[in-house]
Amino acid sequence: MVSENIEEYLECIWELTQDGTPARTTDIAKKMKVSPASVTEMMQRLDSLGYITYEKYKGVTLTDSGKVIGETIKRKHRLLERFLVDVLGIDKEKSHDEACRLEHMLSDESERRISEMMNHPKTCPDGDPIPAMDQLCARKDEDSSVLSQMSEGEEGVISHLSCDDPQKIRRIIAMGFVPERCLTVEEKLPMGGPVLVQVGDCRVALAKEYADLVYVNTKRRCQKRQRHGAE
Amino acid sequence: MEVLLVGNPNVGKSVVFNRLTGVGTISSNYSGTTVDYLRADMMVNGKKVTFTDLPGIYSLTNGTEDQLVAAKMLHSANPDCVLVVADATRLEPSLVLIFQLIELGYPILVAMNMMDTARKRGELDVVKLSKILDVPIVPTVAVTGEGMEELLKALDTCAARRSDFKVSYDSHIEAYLEVMKLGIAEAELKYPVRGASIKLLEGDEQFTEGVPKDLPVQVRKLREEFRKEHDEDLEVHINRDRYGEAGRIISEVSRPNVQPRTRVQRLSDLTMRPRTGIPILIAVLAGVLLTMIKLGGFLDETLLSLYSDVVGSFFSDLANAIGGELGIALASGLDLSIQAILSIVIPYILLFYLILALLEDSGYLPRVVVLLDGVMHKIGLHGQAIIPMLVGMGCNVPAILATRVIESRRERLILGTIIVMAVPCSAQMAVIIGTVGNHGGVLYVMAILAILLGLVLVLGRLLHKALRFEPTSLMIEIPDLSRPRADNVLKKTGMRVKEFFVIAFPILLVGSMALELLNAYGWLDKLVEPLAFFTEGFLGLPAILIIALIFGVLRKEMSFQLLVVLFGTANLSAVMTVEQLFVFALVMATFMPCMSAFAVMVREYGIRDSLIMTLSSIVLAFSLGGLANFLFGVL
Repeated sequence: MVSENIEEYLECIWELTQDGTPARTTDIAKKMKVSPASVTEMMQRLDSLGYITYEKYKGVTLTDSGKVIGETIKRKHRLLERFLVDVLGIDKEKSHDEACRLEHMLSDESERRISEMMNHPKTCPDGDPIPAMDQLCARKDEDSSVLSQMSEGEEGVISHLSCDDPQKIRRIIAMGFVPERCLTVEEKLPMGGPVLVQVGDCRVALAKEYADLVYVNTKRRCQKRQRHGAE
Repeated sequence: MEVLLVGNPNVGKSVVFNRLTGVGTISSNYSGTTVDYLRADMMVNGKKVTFTDLPGIYSLTNGTEDQLVAAKMLHSANPDCVLVVADATRLEPSLVLIFQLIELGYPILVAMNMMDTARKRGELDVVKLSKILDVPIVPTVAVTGEGMEELLKALDTCAARRSDFKVSYDSHIEAYLEVMKLGIAEAELKYPVRGASIKLLEGDEQFTEGVPKDLPVQVRKLREEFRKEHDEDLEVHINRDRYGEAGRIISEVSRPNVQPRTRVQRLSDLTMRPRTGIPILIAVLAGVLLTMIKLGGFLDETLLSLYSDVVGSFFSDLANAIGGELGIALASGLDLSIQAILSIVIPYILLFYLILALLEDSGYLPRVVVLLDGVMHKIGLHGQAIIPMLVGMGCNVPAILATRVIESRRERLILGTIIVMAVPCSAQMAVIIGTVGNHGGVLYVMAILAILLGLVLVLGRLLHKALRFEPTSLMIEIPDLSRPRADNVLKKTGMRVKEFFVIAFPILLVGSMALELLNAYGWLDKLVEPLAFFTEGFLGLPAILIIALIFGVLRKEMSFQLLVVLFGTANLSAVMTVEQLFVFALVMATFMPCMSAFAVMVREYGIRDSLIMTLSSIVLAFSLGGLANFLFGVL
């Protein structure tokens, strides 16, 4: 278990390194409202724990494990802010302080549920982006492409569904998008419009948000039960 | 005997329900026409049978608000027979739904609908299918009534037995089912062990009555395990097996013909391809509008002149016969009420509903949804919101109910607000065309419609920014285009227009007689005077019009009808300037919802949000009216 204090520092460094340059200890001190001396001390400790690499005069960068923690805490922070403001109606100032305390206690599961409930907000109340959550399932299939990336006229057999968002998955299952079924992309509408798909005997228009969850093996041919005959 | 009608959306449940019970329901060619259930009692072979028509469902697990209505009814109703209406031309989803109902132990009768189209496309061996599924199946063509008698006859067979058919799931899932069986005591369960277990594995905890308390918790762990192992959800695999089974059965019982592409299919493609679809859409909308204005205006004039020819001096004779002020009031009240019906309900409202019915039954509306989805995202909605908006151009009441097809409450609120404030219902449209349209010209109508369209965009945009949560996205099935059937179009139009005669006419009659009386004794002017500063000063309208505005709350078209009553003439340009008519029409177009719309809003959105919407629409309407009046003064 990482201490709250360490999490706070990593969150702060994560934010300061977003521009791609190392974070300076003076900035960290300013942001954390502590003396530069104690920052230096903390940096040495974080370095020895393997969360950051700290070079004097150059600054601080996060290691992979430090980055995961920093980003997770920031993500929870911004999601919580959004939740407190939008759902509970708490004002912005207060929500920030409160999110600062709650972010360390929020479990991943609860985070996922809150995000799902609010249909995955993409920005916090101040407009800063909420980093995307890690995907639950990382099933890779060389021959499969995402439905939303397929081009007009392309066809294939559904290989699997992503499983990051149970509620949305249920809706696409209910519409008949399940593995082993054939589909053809008929039309892609402009202006962020939906994809028009023939699946079985049904024709369904579905938004990119849903089409992103369906993976199709385009190498496999389907046996056609001819209904809408070809010309 | 309780019979529930269940099926996928747009398979014709409501048509079957109509045919069986004779009770009128509205049916159209798109998913989600029925969003609430409807019941009807009937005597069949000397027994009382209660039929319930449910909204269409794709699955028993999860769905939009309208689909939840159906799932809840299945739980609570304990039906003696579930009449599944299946679509013979799209068998797979119907079979998957039937599988789930069989698993849950419901007694099932299948109406294999749309057999006429299916027969053209190939052979379908219904007898064999019935043997495989172990349920009685009756081939039907609901629109012509084929198979309805057989359905009624088969009701007893349905109630008598349950199917033994089982979907075979993959070995992993079957193993889970075996394990779960040990932990469940059969006797205490409402649903069969297998069915309840499968639902649990699917993550649906609605069918667990009587299941040991700790089982759902254990199953949740199982589901997590499965997901880690397979990188996919358990319900995906369960449904994959269901569709697999459905596919196998279909290949056994049907032999499709290879068919040439028909002209309708080619037209269907053109309506959805953006390059051709958007010009078609614009042409359709322009056509609808022009028909409303031109044909409506023509009907309006013709009917009124016919009426005055037929009536002649009847009403002045009547007034004399009764005698005195009372005689005049009663006679002219009756006369003007009939005129109002002839000049508003028939030419504009009836005409609009005819056009809407044609559009609905052709299956064109879902294509509009697809084409406009991208644009609708800009105002925080998705394409599916188009259909309630179009229905709202008929009447706001069914439109507000139709917002149930939208899954998030946030979007239902945005859509409801837009419908209430900025989508003119047929009565409001009649007011616009009948007043400023007839006496000022088409340009004024266009101006008001442009203002309303602007309002849709501004309101949508504002609410999109103001309301919580991220917007949801579109998913909708696109039906084949089909030729609308005259009987359905006429019946539907008749049902929708009926209330204008049976409810609106009596109110109008009494209201106008009362107003005539007040007028005759000179009380009317005294009543409206206190508000004259507002009507005359702010809106620049004759003081007496406040009466029309107030009655407009009761029913929108009445505000126009009362203009005729209040001024005692249908020739409005003689008593009001074009600018005044414009202001009046603009106020009426955005004014608060009528009583019936308000009642539905309270039911759907709650009292608080409904009041907010209503108050804002009043403020909006008067501000727009005042602004228009001010601008006319300056120019």
